[in-house]
Amino acid sequence: MRYSNLLLGVLFLFFCSSSKGQERKDSLVSGDFKGLTIEQFILQLEAQTPFHFYYDQKQFDSLQITLSVKGQPLQKVLELAFVNTNFHYSIDQHDNVFLIKDKMIRTDLPAGFFGSSRNINDSAITNTNTADIGLTSDSSTISASLENKLYEIGTKSQIRTGNSTVAGYVRDDKTHEPLPGVSIYLEENPGIGTVTDQFGFFSLTLPRGLHTLNIQSRGKRDVRRHILVYANGKIDIYLHDQIISLREVIISSRKTSNVRSVQLGVEKLNISTIKTIPTIFGEADISRALLVLPGVKSVGEASTGFNVRGGATDQNLILFNGTTVYNPSHFFGFFSAFNPEVIKDVELYKSSIPAKYGGRLSSVLDITSKEGNKKNYAGSAGIGPVTSRLNVEGPIFKDSSSSFVLGARATYADWLLKLLPKQYERSKASFYDVVLHTTHEMNKKNSLYLTAYLSNDHFNLNNDTAYEYSNRNFCVQWKHTFNNKLNNLVSGGYDFYKYDINSEANKINAYDLQFNINQASVKSDFNYYINAKHTVQFGLNSIFYKLNPGSYRPLGSESLVKTDIIPSEQALESALYCGDRYNLTPDFSIDYALRYSFFQYLGPQTVSTYAPGLPKEESSRIGNKEYGRGSVIKTYSGPEYRFAFRYSLTSDFSIKAGFNSLRQYIHMLSNTTAIAPTDIWKLSDPNIKPQEGNQISFGMYKNFKSNTIETSVEVYYKRMEHYLDYKSGAILVLNHNIETDVINTKGKAYGVELLIKKTAGKLNGWLSYTYSRTLLKMDDPLAGEVINHGQYYPSNYDKPHDVSFVGNLKLSHRFSISTNIAYSTGRPITLPVGRYTYAGSQRVLYSDRNAYRIPDNFRVDFSMNIEGNHKVQQKTHNSWTIGAYNLTGRKNPYSVYFISENGLIKGYKLSIFGSIIPFVNFNIRF
Amino acid sequence: MKQYFRTVLGCATLMLLLADCKQVYDPRIGAKNIRLLVVEGFLNSGQGATVVRLSRTGDLKDTTIHLELGAQVNVEGDDNSNFPLVDNANGEYSIPQLNLNNNVKYRLHIKTIDGKEYVSDYSSVKYTPAIDSITSQRENGGAQFYVNAHDPQIAAKYYQWKYEETWEFHSAYYSSLLYTRDSRTNSVTDVVYRDAFHNVDTTIYKCWKTLNSSSIILGSTEKLTSDVVYLPVQYIEPHSEKLGILYSLNLRQYAISHEAYLFLQKIKKNTEQLGSIFDAQPSELSGNIHCLTDPNEIVIGFAEVSQEQTKRIFVYNSQFPDWNYDPGCVRIEIDNNLDSIAKYGADLLPATPSRLSSLGGIIAFYASTPPCVDCTLKGTNQKPDFWP
Repeated sequence: MRYSNLLLGVLFLFFCSSSKGQERKDSLVSGDFKGLTIEQFILQLEAQTPFHFYYDQKQFDSLQITLSVKGQPLQKVLELAFVNTNFHYSIDQHDNVFLIKDKMIRTDLPAGFFGSSRNINDSAITNTNTADIGLTSDSSTISASLENKLYEIGTKSQIRTGNSTVAGYVRDDKTHEPLPGVSIYLEENPGIGTVTDQFGFFSLTLPRGLHTLNIQSRGKRDVRRHILVYANGKIDIYLHDQIISLREVIISSRKTSNVRSVQLGVEKLNISTIKTIPTIFGEADISRALLVLPGVKSVGEASTGFNVRGGATDQNLILFNGTTVYNPSHFFGFFSAFNPEVIKDVELYKSSIPAKYGGRLSSVLDITSKEGNKKNYAGSAGIGPVTSRLNVEGPIFKDSSSSFVLGARATYADWLLKLLPKQYERSKASFYDVVLHTTHEMNKKNSLYLTAYLSNDHFNLNNDTAYEYSNRNFCVQWKHTFNNKLNNLVSGGYDFYKYDINSEANKINAYDLQFNINQASVKSDFNYYINAKHTVQFGLNSIFYKLNPGSYRPLGSESLVKTDIIPSEQALESALYCGDRYNLTPDFSIDYALRYSFFQYLGPQTVSTYAPGLPKEESSRIGNKEYGRGSVIKTYSGPEYRFAFRYSLTSDFSIKAGFNSLRQYIHMLSNTTAIAPTDIWKLSDPNIKPQEGNQISFGMYKNFKSNTIETSVEVYYKRMEHYLDYKSGAILVLNHNIETDVINTKGKAYGVELLIKKTAGKLNGWLSYTYSRTLLKMDDPLAGEVINHGQYYPSNYDKPHDVSFVGNLKLSHRFSISTNIAYSTGRPITLPVGRYTYAGSQRVLYSDRNAYRIPDNFRVDFSMNIEGNHKVQQKTHNSWTIGAYNLTGRKNPYSVYFISENGLIKGYKLSIFGSIIPFVNFNIRF
Repeated sequence: MKQYFRTVLGCATLMLLLADCKQVYDPRIGAKNIRLLVVEGFLNSGQGATVVRLSRTGDLKDTTIHLELGAQVNVEGDDNSNFPLVDNANGEYSIPQLNLNNNVKYRLHIKTIDGKEYVSDYSSVKYTPAIDSITSQRENGGAQFYVNAHDPQIAAKYYQWKYEETWEFHSAYYSSLLYTRDSRTNSVTDVVYRDAFHNVDTTIYKCWKTLNSSSIILGSTEKLTSDVVYLPVQYIEPHSEKLGILYSLNLRQYAISHEAYLFLQKIKKNTEQLGSIFDAQPSELSGNIHCLTDPNEIVIGFAEVSQEQTKRIFVYNSQFPDWNYDPGCVRIEIDNNLDSIAKYGADLLPATPSRLSSLGGIIAFYASTPPCVDCTLKGTNQKPDFWP
């Protein structure tokens, strides 16, 4: 009840301010009020302001006011004074203030109260039910009356024809968290609608006059708002949780968004979906969840990183609230580095990459943390076999303008290592991650967001070599709304990734090897909702990189290791972009954008020069060129095109096509099949060209059964240029002339992705099938070495057939079961075709690169979710997850290898998880 | 660095229940009939023979070694000097001593029986510093041997080691008895004393075994401020028989070129350092030997001039207290009748009598598995001449 009162208060406040115009300077109130009665309080207010107060003292005899304000408008002061009470206030045009309990006094009548249809073109106004809105409306009907209340947008005047823009935020009524992805559209014309952005903000251009807004969001009650639009204006909308799901019939445009959006190849997973996907050890895991999406693959079960539509693992831009995370995993890739308790949703762009993103060739993974509860302190905790998690959230200031969420996770995986054979008993492994996200709404036009992220891994495998790697990210975002049509998000951030390897076992050779990436970035992104037909996005961003590609130092006084430091590399990557979404007709929309990126490799640096026309090798190096601090050594630049269109054949059937081009200036160098903690990153320089890629794609989208079943077919063809591969036996760590060990390759990828998804009902989930190929080619004799005679050869993650099924069956409100079934072709591998004897042992002779495949993969996972009781008012809610990974116990191959053992060659198949792995997880919310 | 991420990582570390995640695998690759020439050996600029071994690659399932016989092998100097190697008719071509000139570069020249000619790149005479010492210490329960060397000229930088290890071991049980067997059916016909004096047979009690290194051992001092070598060369698993009594390691050290180092490292990566999660991709091999007749033909091998330095050490069991070598032998008592012997003891060897009749007849005797009684089944009873 108190929430609805507050809601009323807030809306009423809005109503007052919108009808009365701007705040007056003479109505500002300051003071430190402690335990005042209403009489004392009113005396103070009347002394400071020109207002007169009217109230019934008897109604207020139980009220004590404790409040500290400084220069706040009267409305705000009253709102704070009456927060969480059932007292209300109203202010009329003559500076009279009416205070009343349980009821509200309206000081003016709603427009259209007298059925004055002559003022308004839209005759629907006469049908508006305003009877509920009355001076005597009962408190028990207030909530309902909001649905029927008429909100006036803009200053009341005669309605002119034409369009106006209405903007505002959609928030959760209880926690005031903004709700992204909420669809808002006109009931009478569903073609006019929009979806809230990540901050819950929306802007809708619509004809002036009377409308009914339908507001729908998954997990929230559907609401309507009657609005009468005179001019541009604001409206904030608060949604209630849908706690009891009865047989629901929701037809929301969110659900049709796969059909209606212009973008192709966008996958969105919210955390509740991610949590239903069974994973190893039962830890909800973003990277595992991504791998069940069509078009996303990895080389094996325990590998860091993922491959999107044939792209390499370094071609994914992984953003966490706008910060770039370089190593998104813990514990050699077994766990994602993101704590599921603080994640709200993840969005993966496989094809249509918005113009504001760039710098990677394949995809953008946008991970958004949730916002803290703005009204109450809350939290959750979880205990699993490998990690424990704690998450707290709540308001920072009492006025519910700000909130924080803090999540931390740590492992106690050491006990796993204790189960190993005795010779590994000294192994250690640990990791942790911490996320802090705060939001602060300074005023209606300005909001501030802050994100800090830290992850750290440390392990030592009994070989006396200790490994450590860490991500550190920090980002501040400021959202400024100029007006309903134009807003701007300015962000500044600093991202850091490092690893450190050291060994002390051999005192002579004891060393410490370090690598790190520093990047500072600024961005400014504008959204301009010109009218219902055009939405323009434009902005610029800039990243300054500083890489320390490797330092090798002695450790301990006896070490004879020679200090070897590869000089740091600097570069500035900048981009400007502008794009427009143009709705030609409600059925036909196009999205076109141009991004122009430029990259400057900066001094100080010593760059090797090579004899032209010869392979870049030690022997062809002809000299060094020195560049001073700040000098621009090499500039690369180029346009990137982003284009997509959608044509709706019917309301639930559309076709889309798109073309994308991208450029990448930072490369990960690895000669292992999976991302290893020792892989290094390298900037483009005079000897290493940027990677370029483009993709053309086409899709058909059809929904069935009131949009509860979504189907889609997407086809793509992709080309990549200057992808870096390595020469045979390349040494990538501490290499001062790394260009002599890498080669430019070309790549092509194509495929078709089929998806059937059921989004509602007791049984939901999806089934996807992907056919895809990824081929690379290295045929430039100038690169020094051609691979497989210059023919196309399959990449490490070329797995043509891939089927995955994710199903979740809700047996009751407290019990659900989930399963995940995955099949894929085995990955390509280079196998030996012959043997010979050398150096006292049999050795193997290898075939062409990736000429064979390891056996196919098949896996079934299963989990059960058991929720505690669903009483809303209880201190804690708890739940259990029990399940098993790899239910069939199949020994899925990770790799096949041949090794000399005691002089003889033996072939082995290595599986990572070769048996059933049961797990139990306990979660608690408070 | 990547070799540290061994199988243990992926498999063992996280496998709680440790179903074995490493299984023998047969890729069913058909015969390819690829017969590339493989050249192994070095041109010894120091004292000692130069041996070059020629063979051909075979199919994966083909375990026979395809020796290359009948070739003409010469060491050529860029001063037109020539040293022909003698065909030993076992794939090896040798010369007892090369007398090389430090100012001349040498190469290997091979003419195979099919008429193709192969040459290595020229290489200059290289000096190998002496091995200073070989030390050992207990690591993870086993014995780890380190080589210590230094090069005052700071020229060597890249090293290869090979070794020959020899150890003494004893049978678990003395034996004074012997089965006599039917020459036709091979079934045991009697148990008799080995000699008239009922003595135990000492010739099958004390044996030696010698093995050559089968892995490529490489080291480099390029990342050090001075050319000081302190690197592990050999590890003996805990409780191994090798350190049961007395063990000897004969280490041979070679200074090699950077190119040879990279070549050997590739072979090592391709065949010894696999099976982890972070395996490097197998890479193509190319040594310094080229086919003159067909420049596109791939030849596996590396031949260059080097000097051999050797050092032998002995390690007694007492240097590793609580080594606790257990041969894992058990003996059983068998009644001396042919039925019992046929049932329990036919595959065993008789050791010593356990019960004798008053007349000295054997009523029952001890027997054990053959290697526990006769050490010559695992090694030789010829004492090596260097053995103390």
